[in-house]
Amino acid sequence: MDDLERLYTTHYAAVVRFLYRKIWDADRAEDLAQEVFIRAMAHRPEKPRAWIFAVAANLARDEARAAIRRKKHLTLLKDDPVPLSTPDPSADEAVERDERWAQVSGALAALTERDRDVLLLWDGGLSYPEIAAQTGLAVGAVGTTLARARKRLIEAYDRTEYTADAARS
Amino acid sequence: MRHVPDEELHAYLDQALSRSQCVEIETHMAACARCSDRRDENAALRDRTTALLAQLTPRSLIIPPPYASLEERRIDTPAFSRWQRSARRAAIWAAGVAAAIGTGWAGRSILGPGGAVPVPAQLAVTPPSITSAVPLASIARAPEFVPAPEEIVTPRQPTREIVNRPVSSRRVEAEITPAPVVQYISAALPTRVDKSLDDAPVAGPASRSPFEHIWRSVQWEEALQIAGSGLPFIEGMPVVGVLLQPGSPGERPMVIVAQQDGSGEVIQSIEGPVSKVTELLERQARPDVRSSSLTRTPPDYIEDHGSVRRNNRMMAVTGRLSVDSLNTLARVATIR
Repeated sequence: MDDLERLYTTHYAAVVRFLYRKIWDADRAEDLAQEVFIRAMAHRPEKPRAWIFAVAANLARDEARAAIRRKKHLTLLKDDPVPLSTPDPSADEAVERDERWAQVSGALAALTERDRDVLLLWDGGLSYPEIAAQTGLAVGAVGTTLARARKRLIEAYDRTEYTADAARS
Repeated sequence: MRHVPDEELHAYLDQALSRSQCVEIETHMAACARCSDRRDENAALRDRTTALLAQLTPRSLIIPPPYASLEERRIDTPAFSRWQRSARRAAIWAAGVAAAIGTGWAGRSILGPGGAVPVPAQLAVTPPSITSAVPLASIARAPEFVPAPEEIVTPRQPTREIVNRPVSSRRVEAEITPAPVVQYISAALPTRVDKSLDDAPVAGPASRSPFEHIWRSVQWEEALQIAGSGLPFIEGMPVVGVLLQPGSPGERPMVIVAQQDGSGEVIQSIEGPVSKVTELLERQARPDVRSSSLTRTPPDYIEDHGSVRRNNRMMAVTGRLSVDSLNTLARVATIR
């Protein structure tokens, strides 16, 4: 097993999650993740982990632009919709899951692009120097950005949860 | 005494500091309750962030496809250099221009100056706007075009063009499930639907071939044969018409199945590639026609330069009903 294959095994899911949180389409995220690793095979980058996330970010950006061009209603594309013949899970569970998903994605959308990128790269497993190299920040500024992004994400989430609770009661 | 700032505490928790920096911070926190408390607060914040982000995951289990399959795809995919891609684009562009000029010239030669042009009205057809009251008549119909009466009387008889249309072997071999009798109510039957369906766009032979991407009205059996397993269908409602637009090579056609509920309202199920379906929905002409949420249907797998590309497809149900009702219909719809 070479280094890239090992990286593929350990980081494929992280790359899919990273892409999914940018484009909100599960199938497309998997397609793009495979594309990332196919490109990595061709390029054999020196620092593969940072490289795959950089390429993934670029592909996600291209995808978002294409979606805007097509005026695609991404909000309508549900997460891995249940096949038509399969019965739905309990309605309560589904509603609760959808609400939570909407709250978290809304909170993430409330961050600035820089904060969101840094947070998602960190969650993808990148180190501070790798995040710095990809975003153009100084290594010392990654901690500052990350601290701010985490705080704002939690604040935004709590705000939406409070609003949702108020609406329910 | 200098307290440890939050960003350093985050870096400390993320193990992004050097050993000496860690020792310095730990020594300070041992003597400073305030910084120690801040460390705990930031650790909780960090854990909560991780937990929240974990909810934004596409699936509970993400399984990577075998590494060998990626290697195969890489080998199969030709690696075009930048200038090769540019040259290819230029060649395609030039071919397109030449084809356009050639078509124009041929058209002039055949029709002659000032000649009547019966077909271009059909050619100029854009994807249909979706209306439920007149689901088919308003779609893809040229004003001059009047279908021959015998075509309406015997609509189920496949035409030569349809039979000869190249289809993949999988589709030819696919078993064609006969639909219930009610599904065969012709688009031409005047009693059940709007009178405008009398001259529903049963496309003439001239519009069927060789032009691609033209909407054509077909019978259920033909649609099944052409579309393979991609026909959306709501059980218990008679089919009043099927419109079909051929896709690119390897791609299943886009279909619109019009059905009628008990009150006479016409419901249209639209199935096709995501971009085409969303485009069609955006072009809805009437504000009182609503659409259900999109539901994913089986994708197309298209061979492209030796590798296989997935093309996602979706389905939506439209009509003059509430969105909730349309969503319910979309849930009970089956893909034949």
